[in-house]
Amino acid sequence: MNRNNIWIHIGIALILVTLAAVLGQIDRWRAGLRPATSETRDIARSAGKPNAVKRSRSDSEPEVLVRFKPGVSMTQIAKLVARNNDRVEDNVEFVRGLTSIDDLDDADPAAVAAQYTAMTDLVEYAHPNYRIELGTPDAKPVEERFEDDVTSSPNDPHFADQWALNNDGSGGGRKGAHIDALKAWNITKGSSEVVVAVLDTGVDYTHPDLISNMWIRPENVPQYSDGELGAFNDRYGFNAVDNAADPMDENGHGTHCAGVIGAEGDNELGIAGINWKARIMPLKFLGRGGFGTTKDAIEAINYAVDRKQKGVNVRIISASWGSTQYSKALEDAIRAAGEQGILFIAAAGNSSTDNDRRPHYPSNYNLPNVISVAALDRTDALASFSNYGAKTVHVAAPGKEIVSTWLNEAYREASGTSMATPHVAGIAALIVARDRSITVEKLKERVMAAVDKIEQLNGKVVSGGRINAAKALAN
Amino acid sequence: MSFDKDSAVKRAKQDLAERLKLNEDDIKVDSVSSKEFSDMSLGAPADGEMAAQMIAYGWQISLGAGGKSYDYRADKYQLRLKGYGGKNHVIVY
Repeated sequence: MNRNNIWIHIGIALILVTLAAVLGQIDRWRAGLRPATSETRDIARSAGKPNAVKRSRSDSEPEVLVRFKPGVSMTQIAKLVARNNDRVEDNVEFVRGLTSIDDLDDADPAAVAAQYTAMTDLVEYAHPNYRIELGTPDAKPVEERFEDDVTSSPNDPHFADQWALNNDGSGGGRKGAHIDALKAWNITKGSSEVVVAVLDTGVDYTHPDLISNMWIRPENVPQYSDGELGAFNDRYGFNAVDNAADPMDENGHGTHCAGVIGAEGDNELGIAGINWKARIMPLKFLGRGGFGTTKDAIEAINYAVDRKQKGVNVRIISASWGSTQYSKALEDAIRAAGEQGILFIAAAGNSSTDNDRRPHYPSNYNLPNVISVAALDRTDALASFSNYGAKTVHVAAPGKEIVSTWLNEAYREASGTSMATPHVAGIAALIVARDRSITVEKLKERVMAAVDKIEQLNGKVVSGGRINAAKALAN
Repeated sequence: MSFDKDSAVKRAKQDLAERLKLNEDDIKVDSVSSKEFSDMSLGAPADGEMAAQMIAYGWQISLGAGGKSYDYRADKYQLRLKGYGGKNHVIVY
């Protein structure tokens, strides 16, 4: 710099400073015109230093404050929020990416906040919209973070026996060898909008722990009619064994599987299903002895497809059965279900064999809507009876010593890849509860990606891991 | 109808006597043991059959006649004969 151009530099500096001041004043003028957010209103009303906070539950105020990461556009935010059935109440322009959000489902704000917090690629942080008050010493501080919050255990008396959902290491188990249900339930506990078909021995739809979660044909859905079989007043589902409408379980196996998926949760009774709320549709094709024919399986699947086409939101079929018998017809029926957007979860089998070498069906059908499931014990080891397959068995799930609903209002423990399968079906239902429009392809992808890698499962199942419900719900 | 161990053995003897056209007194009970089966086909699936993949508890019944052994399996709801004439048979369910 020399004496000749020093004044040029001083002039440029003055211009820049003046420009910054002008822009700052413009922002202040804009702030003066914009309505205050709830938070700013509340802060303005408070006098002195607040010594406690309470959550805002007013209908007129947004429930959650979310700060999105740089680069997340308003369009992306609007779409994401709408997908969660929420509404953007306000964007706080002074803080980049900060948005106040209304939840339209009347969910707990902490749960809504946790849902956004879990979206770690899009969200910096999220927390409920606290109302700042004076003189309430017992409330939580604003700085509290929620990533590690878990729902308290449900009050179902047998929940302590459900190691698959929450394994604290007792009873010879390994702590953490579970599907992490408590953390998952912080995001969703399921939905009555999601129908899961249990293709099995039927379901005892009068069981006290299932009755509230049974699918009942809505009045606007016509009765089932089959060209060859005739018409059925299908109130609860379908019975292909007797070509009848009543899918009452005479064996117990189907009732057990149904309980894993959707026994009513937190009802001071029995167990908690992975979905505290759901709609279970029994498709009975296995008889009292626990076995059935391929033809009856196909007829029952046909029923589910028909109901789907008539508007019933059947999204998942849980199939805890199989054999070494290949059937092209059954494969085609399952494919047709997939084309209607139905995910098909199938047990890998209990022969302790390698399904890559000795196929087991229907789990070995190489279809885009089929997930094959191996069974684990409470230490995350492959159960001694479980089939496996590096190429043909997709995931592993808890399947040994599983307590669930049984006939005559009872509960019992059972083991098998039969028991592992509904754990995966249950988690798939949680995903659908949160993302109603997810395609069957994406649903399968998400289930398979949502695993905890287990060294012993490397080379045994495609995903190399145990399903994790909390991971399945995190973006 | 549901089985217990004794009624399962009795029905198995009756079935084998009919198949072999013998008197039931000619059928010997070689052994009866409690058994854990890998699934609800009791390890003896019939052709084209699908079975629930739950560990099932029942009995393995070995009957003898004419110097040969015959393998029956039973649980509360069913009785099966394994490998007779190259096939598995469901006798009662």
